[in-house]
Amino acid sequence: MTRTTIELDQFYPHPPDLVWRALTTPELLARWLMRPDGFEPRVGARFTMAAKPIGAVGFSGTVACEVLELVEPELLSFSWDDAAADGPSGWVVSFELRREGRGTRVLFTHRGFDPDSPSAQLSRTMMGNGWPRILAALGAVAATTPRPPE
Amino acid sequence: MPQRGKTSPADRLFGALANPTRRDILDLLLDGEQTVQDIADRFDMARPSVSEHLRVLRDTDLVREEQRGRHRYYAVHAGPLVGVRDWLSPYERYWRARLTDLGDVLDDIAGEDAT
Repeated sequence: MTRTTIELDQFYPHPPDLVWRALTTPELLARWLMRPDGFEPRVGARFTMAAKPIGAVGFSGTVACEVLELVEPELLSFSWDDAAADGPSGWVVSFELRREGRGTRVLFTHRGFDPDSPSAQLSRTMMGNGWPRILAALGAVAATTPRPPE
Repeated sequence: MPQRGKTSPADRLFGALANPTRRDILDLLLDGEQTVQDIADRFDMARPSVSEHLRVLRDTDLVREEQRGRHRYYAVHAGPLVGVRDWLSPYERYWRARLTDLGDVLDDIAGEDAT
């Protein structure tokens, strides 16, 4: 199991228009993601965002992005690169919105993880005997285990 | 970086999982609880060796034992593995937190719109 995609699925009891606003309005993005600099809701718009560095994965803290897909109010995707990295990472973050009753289901993906990156290598070296099944069982358990407060 | 103690619970957990025999034991226990003798028979191992592996797994809370009648049964306890998964997936943890924050912002702006 080399993981190349993070997929998350979250339901919000709010209509897609509202979710779309939170995804595409800079002041609102700043409130849940990061404050974007240069964001515009159009394909090809380039923007940067400043975040806290994530030491565990070698992330510098500034993300460079470009809007790749934009279908109001259904789909937003943008590239996601560490601005301090030597080259593009090939990461793409996307939000797909599906109306569900009076609410919206957001299907989030962060794809394009390089299987040769150190963290991916780490997970691969741990994939000796026993691991695939243990991790599969773990996924099932983790899904039903309350997470400890961080 | 916080000061590192000699061995953190995570170090012990990874230490326990680093051994292929212990992973085989966990794999076996995923099918259901077993006694020490069951495990020893399965791996063609002396009981004391099995007991030693089980002790390491028990110390890290990866398996739990239960005495019933004349036998002690061992079963997988996956709780500590949740931490491993989080450790392996800092980005997943990151995005989960962001999506939760998004929910809070949506609640806020829905409230603002209503007033």
